[in-house]
Amino acid sequence: MSEGVSPSPGGARRGFPVHTHNLIGGLIVAALGLGFLGYAFYMPNAVIPRFMAAATLLIGIAVAAGLLPVRGPRDFYGGIALVVLSTLALTASAELPGQRGFAFGPGTAPRLFSFILAALGAAVAVGGVFAEGPEIEKYKVRGPALVVVSIISFAALVRPVGVIIATFLTFMISILGSTEMRWIESMIAAAAMTAFCWLLFVVLLNLPFQLWPRFY
Amino acid sequence: MTELLSNLWMGFHVAANPYNILFCLLGALVGTLVGVLPGIGTVATIAMLLPITFGLPPVGALIMLAGIYYGAQYGGSTTSILVNIPGEATSVITCLDGHQMARQGRAGPALSISAIGSFFAGCVATVLVAALGAPLTSIALLFGPAEYFSLMCLGLIFAVVLAKGSVLKAVAMVITGLLLSMVGSDLETGAGRMTFDVAELADGIGFANVAMGLFGFAEIIRNLELPAESRDIVKAKITGLMPTRQDLIDSAGAIVRGTALGSLVGILPGGGAVIASFAAYTFEKKIAKDPSRFGNGAIEGVAAPESANNAAAQTSFIPLLTLGIPPNAVMALMVGAMTIHGIVPGPQVMTKQPELFWGMIASMWIGNLMLIVINLPLVGVWVSLLRVPYRLLYPSILVFCCIGIYSINNSPTDVVIAAIFGVIGFWLVKHDFEPAPLTLGFVLGPLMEENLRRAMLIARGDVTVFFTRPISSVLLCTAILLLILAGLPKIRRRRDEVFVE
Repeated sequence: MSEGVSPSPGGARRGFPVHTHNLIGGLIVAALGLGFLGYAFYMPNAVIPRFMAAATLLIGIAVAAGLLPVRGPRDFYGGIALVVLSTLALTASAELPGQRGFAFGPGTAPRLFSFILAALGAAVAVGGVFAEGPEIEKYKVRGPALVVVSIISFAALVRPVGVIIATFLTFMISILGSTEMRWIESMIAAAAMTAFCWLLFVVLLNLPFQLWPRFY
Repeated sequence: MTELLSNLWMGFHVAANPYNILFCLLGALVGTLVGVLPGIGTVATIAMLLPITFGLPPVGALIMLAGIYYGAQYGGSTTSILVNIPGEATSVITCLDGHQMARQGRAGPALSISAIGSFFAGCVATVLVAALGAPLTSIALLFGPAEYFSLMCLGLIFAVVLAKGSVLKAVAMVITGLLLSMVGSDLETGAGRMTFDVAELADGIGFANVAMGLFGFAEIIRNLELPAESRDIVKAKITGLMPTRQDLIDSAGAIVRGTALGSLVGILPGGGAVIASFAAYTFEKKIAKDPSRFGNGAIEGVAAPESANNAAAQTSFIPLLTLGIPPNAVMALMVGAMTIHGIVPGPQVMTKQPELFWGMIASMWIGNLMLIVINLPLVGVWVSLLRVPYRLLYPSILVFCCIGIYSINNSPTDVVIAAIFGVIGFWLVKHDFEPAPLTLGFVLGPLMEENLRRAMLIARGDVTVFFTRPISSVLLCTAILLLILAGLPKIRRRRDEVFVE
């Protein structure tokens, strides 16, 4: 499917050995729990999220210490992440007024769905403790990181230097993510793509873009 | 009947407008292109083009986006047959027999049968959309908030049960989508919810950002991780496009059955082209006198799934256009496109904007006609496109997406939000979560909340209203039953088998 991307030497499906995995994963979970515990204490009115964050912290420590076996890491960490997300949502919507009489307030629905999400996330995580599951695929850093960097750099550059230079640079940064990059070919392709985008967005669609750097 | 004909006539009048023909052609071309190219899916493409449709008239924009969806069904089969690389998930199954046929020197008949089958399915589905539109719309007009809420629950549950992977995780994704859709100002009171005092979030998270991140960026990141695959293009000399009389006789039944099955699956929420093609293939294999021919170049194995995926792609517009409920991720994007233009999808589209409704339906038929022309003679051109290496393709898609998102609001923050969703989408795949239910939840979120709140208000806080009103009760009970069925161990195992196959 994707030429120009190096094949992974160990195959795509091999993850970390189990014991280190538990330590690192557990520490990440514990750190998240601690962070959200702090956030929930900083926010008023967030009693339940405090308990949820504290539970996350304890689970993280238990996993890191090896007290809690994780048989299906994909499910376990996925479920925990959903619980953390619902903790975040509950904390953030803690100050919103709830039900008045039988009319929903702005905070009712977010809290309702947060609780459902927390329950589902917990169920997924429990499944990860008891059922055997595949290891988490190893993350590759280079390609994904450069793609993200290039998108962020587009966002950062587009206002100060204009669309044309930003497009060209974004193309060049993202193409570095491929291991079979060739400079001359890439430059030509980047220039061609920039011209195409200019033609499509500016000439044909008439969008009000700032094309070149503006000097104040 | 006369009303139907006069409506269709009006639709063709709209669709035959030169501009709309141009948009239809454009959509069909882009659709074929993404269908041919592996690594870019339909969802990602429609997400990419959402910002562009902003400047177009609504009818033209929707005609173009619809064209991309069914066009991709045509294009996907071409590479499946010739190169054994499915350009789309919907034509994975076509590889089995289509590529075998190509190896036996029968690439021409395989291509033309898949095009003929798709065209037939397209025609039938067009008529079906037109015929079912009016009655379903009149049912939808009887619905109150409670019924709407229950209907949306049912739709989401259907989507979850028919998707691959764990039901529990898919439900969790739907809820995550609902929760994300609540970021921003409250509908009734205007209070800022979960905005973290970020000004850009006060309006909520833009749907285009979420879609582009989850499907466009995440797909690029994901593809960069995969090991390189060699693309050896079979030097298939396509001699004699026309199928023989025997081919036509053999495949006629398969095309009809595929179309019927595809149309049915397409209407069901959560269905869609992928499941339709798999179901049609399995069905053909089951009823065949000699199942061992399948996998060795049986023409029915090309005809049935290709007809089915095209039929399903078109009939999945029915729930969207009549009830306002998107049955799959592509339709969720269509909701996004409609809302960009200020059209609220649902039964009122047909009465308030008949030219949009019927124009789109008529354009589907015209588009199918165009596709047969685009695909058969130009097959060589499309295949040569596969020579574009992915290392040049992905940066192009990426900058295109970036400019596209930026253009919606001229806001760099939107680009950053999409990048965040790209990383989230990448993470989700690592943990076997499907992004499609999240998108559905995200799109339906505001509607669901609004209807839930209204229903509760009307019922004076009585939760049982969802079960005491008959239509709502039937819908909700069906949803619950489905969920229980999907959870039963026996059916779960069957379901896993189906998706593994």
